[in-house]
Order: sequence, then C-alpha cells, then structure tokens
Amino acid sequence: MPQAIIELRHISKSFPGILANDDISLTINQGEIFAILGENGAGKSTLASILFGMYSPDAGEIWLRGKKTNITSPARAVELDIGMVHQHFKLISEYSVTENIILGDEPLRRLAGIAGLDRKAAGTRIQELIDCYQFDLAPDALIEDIGVSSQQRVEILKMLYRSAEILIFDEPTAMLTPQETERLLAIIRRLRDNGKTIILITHKLEEIKLVADRCAILNHGRLIEVFDVASTSTQTMANRMVGYELNLNIKKTPPNFGRPVLEVSDLTVYDALKVKRVDAVSLKVHAGEVFALAGVAGNGQMELADAIAGLMDVHSGSIRLKGEEITKTTARRRACAGIAYIPEDRQQVGLILDFTVSENLMSKSYFRPPYCKGPFLQTKAAARLAEDICQRYDIRSAQGVATLVRSLSGGNQQKLIVAREIEAQGDLVIFVQPTRGLDIGATLGIRQRIIAERDKGRAVLLISLELEEVKALADTIGVIYNGRIAHTAPASEVGMKELGEYMLGVRK
Amino acid sequence: MKASRRLEGLLVAGVAVLLALLVISVIILAVGKNPLLVFSSLLQGAGWLPKPKYAGGRGVLTDFMGLLDAMTPMLFAALAVAIAFRAGLFNIGVAGQMLAAGFLATVIVGYSPLTAVLAKPLVLLVGLAVGGALGAFVGFLKARFNIHEVVSTIMLNYIVLYITSFFIKSYYIDPVSRQSRAISSEARLTLMNVDLGGLSSRLPLCFLLAVALAVLFYLLLARTRLGFEIRAVGKSRKAAQYSGINARRTIVLSMALSGCSAGLAGVTYYLGCFNSILPAELSNIGFDSIAVALLANSNPLGSILSSLLITTLTYGSNYMSSTAGISEYIASLMIGVVLLFSACGGFFQYLLGRRRKALELDKEATGGAGIGTGGSSGSSNPGAGAGTGDSPGSEYDQDAKAAGQP
Repeated sequence: MPQAIIELRHISKSFPGILANDDISLTINQGEIFAILGENGAGKSTLASILFGMYSPDAGEIWLRGKKTNITSPARAVELDIGMVHQHFKLISEYSVTENIILGDEPLRRLAGIAGLDRKAAGTRIQELIDCYQFDLAPDALIEDIGVSSQQRVEILKMLYRSAEILIFDEPTAMLTPQETERLLAIIRRLRDNGKTIILITHKLEEIKLVADRCAILNHGRLIEVFDVASTSTQTMANRMVGYELNLNIKKTPPNFGRPVLEVSDLTVYDALKVKRVDAVSLKVHAGEVFALAGVAGNGQMELADAIAGLMDVHSGSIRLKGEEITKTTARRRACAGIAYIPEDRQQVGLILDFTVSENLMSKSYFRPPYCKGPFLQTKAAARLAEDICQRYDIRSAQGVATLVRSLSGGNQQKLIVAREIEAQGDLVIFVQPTRGLDIGATLGIRQRIIAERDKGRAVLLISLELEEVKALADTIGVIYNGRIAHTAPASEVGMKELGEYMLGVRK
Repeated sequence: MKASRRLEGLLVAGVAVLLALLVISVIILAVGKNPLLVFSSLLQGAGWLPKPKYAGGRGVLTDFMGLLDAMTPMLFAALAVAIAFRAGLFNIGVAGQMLAAGFLATVIVGYSPLTAVLAKPLVLLVGLAVGGALGAFVGFLKARFNIHEVVSTIMLNYIVLYITSFFIKSYYIDPVSRQSRAISSEARLTLMNVDLGGLSSRLPLCFLLAVALAVLFYLLLARTRLGFEIRAVGKSRKAAQYSGINARRTIVLSMALSGCSAGLAGVTYYLGCFNSILPAELSNIGFDSIAVALLANSNPLGSILSSLLITTLTYGSNYMSSTAGISEYIASLMIGVVLLFSACGGFFQYLLGRRRKALELDKEATGGAGIGTGGSSGSSNPGAGAGTGDSPGSEYDQDAKAAGQP
C-alpha cells in the first residue's frame, strides 16, 4: 500500500485576469515519480511554485506527511526537505561546483574561536553524493566551464546536499540534447530507487512514458485526470492534455518546387573571437521547399542563419536572394528584400521584453506605413493591427496588446515572433529551433504554419536540433557538421540512422 | 494600460517624496526645531508662500520668478540625462557639456556688441551646437570604439573644466570678482529687474522653452520613429540590431540630443541665472540633474515636476536657514534623502509589479524591476555634489556672489 507524502486539497490560485489553479486536489505517494503534464500556461509551474513556497494558495490546504502544513517560503520548503530544480538555473558562474552547492548552507569549523569555512567536510560530503548517484562532476570545476547538463546536475546535488526528500523538477529537459535527456532520466530513476519522491513537470510525453509512475494532467488550471502511466497510451495522454483530439502527424502534400529563392555559395563566417564557424557552405532553397538543416548544437548552424539574415559579417562567399546579391547589405535591407527570421534566442534577440505586444509586433516594420506616417508612429493603427494579429495567431496576454512581452508565457512569446515574421510576407522564412520548449499544442501550431508557408510558395530554411522535427517537416535535408554541409539529400531518401551518423561526424 | 503604468510611476515618486519629508522631519525634530516652520519657510523662500515681509519692490512673485529662473537650466540638464538614459546611456558629462557651451557662448556672443535680437538666439544656437557636438563625440566613441560613456564623459568633464579655466584665467578674468568678465545684458537669457505688476523681478526667457523641450522629448520618444529606435536600443541593443535598427547611429544621435539639451542648460545657467563663469568649478546642476531624471524615472514630462521639486529645495534653503535658524545644508540633506527613497522607488515599483509579474504563469520572476545599476551610482553622485559644493542658496544671488567670492 503506497503511503501518501503530499496531499493537495482544493488548491486554488489566481492572478489578475487568470485562474492559474482551479480547485486542484491530488495525492502524491512516497517514493514515486509523479509527473505533472500540461500545456504552457496550464498552471503546472504555479502548482509547483506553491509546493515550493514561492506562492501561497488563495484557497485549499497542503498536507505533508499526514500533517497540515503551511509552506510559507522556499526556505521553509527546504526545511521541510523539499527541493526544486528550476527551469533557469540559479548558479553563480564564477564559483566552483562545491561553492555553489554549499552556498547558503556552509559547513563551519571554528579556528581559535573564529568561524571559518570547512571546505574539506563539504568536499567529502559532495564527493560521496557524486559517487553515490554517478553524477560525473568535478567538485572544483567552475560553473562557467561546465555544460548545461552538468550545471543541472549541480542543481540536483544542491537539493541532495540539503537532504531533500521531495524533489521538484521544472521542465528539466528543455535545454538538454537527447543523450543528456536520457542521462537525466536515468538519474531521476536512480533517485526514486533511493527512496526519494520526484515531481516532474513537463510537457514532453515521451519522458513521462519513460520514467513516470503516475501522471496528472492539467488544462487551463484544472486537474483533468490522474493516470497510471504504464496502462495509458501516449495518444490518450496527448488528447487529454490539449483538451481536444490531436493528430500528432502533420499532413503534407508533395512539394512543388519553384525557382531558387536563397542561394548560398562557399560561405565562410568567423565569429567575434576569430573562430571559423561556417566553412564554405553552399546550399539552395527553392520556393515551396522546406530545407531542413539538421545538426548537433554548436556546429555553425546558428551562425549560418545570422549571416544569411545580415547579423554577422561574411568572411568570404556569397548569399543571393531571388538571384540578387545581398552578401554585403544590412539586416534591414535584407528584411525588406524578403528575409523573415525567427531567431534561436527569443528573449534576448527576437523580442524586446520591456516593450508591449503591439510594439514588438511592429519592431521590424515600424518605419513604414501603416505603422508610420512621415517620422510619426501611428500608435492607434498599430494597436488595431496588433489586436487583429493576436486574434489570428492566438497570442494570449493578460492585458491585450499593451501587455509587456516579458509577462507573456514562452509559447505566446514564440507565437508573437512567428506572427510578426510571417506577416512580413517575405519570400524566405528562416526558422531556428522554432518549437524548442513549447508544448504540444503550440508545437503543432507552429509546424502547421511552416508547412502552410511552404504551400504558399515560400522558401523555408528550418534549422533544428530535433531530428524528429526535421523528418516531419523537411522536403530536403542537409546535415551540418563542424561548419560544413556533410550531406544533402531529399528527405525521403535518408533514414534516421544515416542522418545521425552524419550529424555525429561518423560518416562523411 | 499604459496610463495606469504612468500613474504608478507618479505614485511611486510621490511616496518617495513623502517618506523623505517624514525622515527629514524626524531629523529636524531631533535638533529641536519645528519641522512645519522649517518647511513653510522653505516654501516661502522658494516663492510658493508669501513671506511675512518684503523689501521694497519685491514680493512673492519675485521669489517665484527666481525659482523658475533657477529651474530652467535644471530642467534642460535633467532632460539631457533622461533622454540618454532612455537610450541605455549614462551621461554623467552634463556638467562638462554645460560648461563648454556656456564658455563658448560667453566668449563668442557674450562679449560681442550684438543687439539683443541677434545675441539671444545666437547664444541658444551656440549652446545647442557645442553641447550637441560634445555629446555626439561621446556617442561616437561608444559606437565606434565601444568606450563606455561613463568613462569618456568623466574624462571630458575634466578636460573641459581645465581648458576653460585656463582661458578664463588667462584672458577673460575680472580682477575683482575672480570670475570671467560679466557678459553684455543683450546676450543674457534672463531679464533682470523687470517690472511685473509693480514688483521688480527676474524674467527667465527660456523657461517655456525648457518646458516645450520636455514635451518635445516626450513626443519624440513615444510617437516617432527615432524615439522607437532610441527606446529599442535602450532596452536591448541586440534585439534592436536584429530588428534592423542601426544601433550605432542611434547611440550617436541620442547622445547628440542629450548634449544639445545639456548645452541649453549651460547657456541658461552661465548666461541666464548668472552672467559670468567661476573658473575651475563644475556646476552642481550637472550632477543634481542625474538625480532629477532618476526621480522622474527618465520620463521627460516627469522631469518637469521633479526639477521643480529639487529646485524648490535648493532655492528655498537660503531663506529657510536665515529665518528658521537651521543650516541650509538641511536642504542638501533633503535632496539626498528624497533621492535615496526615489532610488528605492525601484523597490516600490517592484512590489507593485509583483502583482503584475505573477501573471507570468509558467515562468519565474527574474527580479529587479525599474532602476538598474546606473541609477544607484547616480543617486550617490548628486548627494556628494550637493554636499561639497558651496551653499546652493547663495549661488542664485548674483550680487552676494560677486562680492563674497574668495
């Protein structure tokens, strides 16, 4: 008989304009992996934040280990042996792994009456934990020198060091590669086998299928259902999550190639540190074609996109758009000539977070009618246009088009960028990692848009790290490895295995 | 929605001022004085309330016009800081830009025999040109060589200070006052001893110009292409470049605009409030204006209110110290405390904003809203400037100054 460790009774939490959690009651058992599944904005992070003491519920009770408990702050949560790994890590990059772990809970040693830091004790304890869970971390390494997945393991260690028994993971795999994800899931399983209780917040069904014991589905703040994962199909879970029947396969008609829109030949790009990032790349994208560039992160694909959009200087080679040479023109010229660009970094590059929805929608066309008349902005007209766009692209914000983009959910931020770029009616659309971190509903929406753009006769250059996405959308697949195009072929002629080998440089 | 955000800013500034008054009251009580009396004599000195008695030909209007005269360069200077702030730039060089503009206008126009109709507009033009050129130079250094504007403006402050000081002491010195020779009254932007309804008063000719510039800057930022570009670069240079905005050009342009406004501050100060330049000294206004802009949250319209407030404190303090028997340094202290609380305004705003931020459902609040690092260092500067400078009240009394300078 499983023993309940957390019991939520009728938890409700609302924010101005949105009911984030609506009367949620559920029980989490000792030693299980309990997944909370939902779309962006379904209220799952709010629920986790309540458990970790960051928000207090408007109504309802939390029972912890059979006792009614008020979790008033994260500090209190830690005292109650609850730990959380946030989506964005909270580490000091100049500090070492050990220093980050003990920060705020330093072991002290008295030397002649003066308290000093007992590094040795801390080091031993941390090394024990690393060995126990096979974390493969060097305790003395600086955070800035280790990769994202290692940083995440540091976050996990931080919880274990504070002897957390209940571990909350908020979208832990959003930033990880497939291999790293597998590794993390193995760690999560190991934690459970050691008696920890895991709460896993995610919108990736495969992960739930792989590790979770039970899974709660939230939709618009309400608890829809709690499943036993082993006996439920992925399709059923997907349907319940988005609240309507969902077809995971994208319908695609055979491609109808037109004239070449983008022609890149022998393009070489160096970054600011004079490192060669793109090495004599040539590729052609036709009207009505989705050209997908597959590759492992850091192989030059982002620099290639930046160079095509005019944000990075070209060292040699040429870029032609609809037959016209654009290698040396400014980003503005290229945008006007018909290059739309959905960049990888949405928050720092694609959006101005402290601008409103309406201002962000006009950020690439504010200088021409109808957004501008002479030197004057037409703010009212812009707001009207923005309202229309928000409606058509289903961009949801609490206070309409005057909402600051900072307060939009990740999915809505991405929808905003996609809407702006598609509305620009360019002949070439560059999508970089268009669905990273998005839930199924939003992912599907954006993938359908990509195909719709292709069917309208536009050329699409898709740069993605997800092979599944590449396979689902591409007409032509190119593989980039170490800044070079390793292989190009029609999508139907390459298998997953072959692609993987090219991506990893095994096959050349 | 935007209007509510603006109201919120006003509310935050108001709370900061109230809290500051409260703290100052406690200090005044602690030294055994009546705070109400101190504040009312401060307001009397600044021309908001009538004094019990006036010398012949003077009245409350005299004091009030004097206040507006003192506020004019303050507002120009605050606008200079504010517009740079909005472009993400921290112009600490307002004092130097003011001095350069004031000096060249003095030498070129102030000592010329031109008539008022020619001289006054020419003074303004020289102010605009000199300030603008210096500002643009700083912007160019930033855009082209990535030299931080804080470094270059501080250095330029010293360069301007000592060059002008050299020329004044070598060629333009008045042996009695130890300042530069007085400019012709034709070139002066403040009319002296004007008869206003039987009262003799100053008439600051550029006060309305300063207010108009505030409105102009506000409209520029909110309603024009250039304003959009300035704000975009200020919020995120990377995202602005992605949007196709020429960030370098925008940086140079906004620094030039900032310099122009600083230049106008310089000419209305050295060729308005005063008619001469004290060599080897930067005006406090250049630094106080950082605080004024900060208090207004870099909003040009808000700068009108905040410069009125800060000038009231400095201008009224002279009378306050003589009637209430409390040192005029209490005024500097008041400014310091107001600024301290307005810097905390970022925190109040954060508290208000938390409600809004909580909307961000699946994301965590990233912290620190409002004023960034530039703000906190800005608030320490004017405090130091106001504290070490000579008594701010006496600066506005030209006769006293000419006689009493060492």
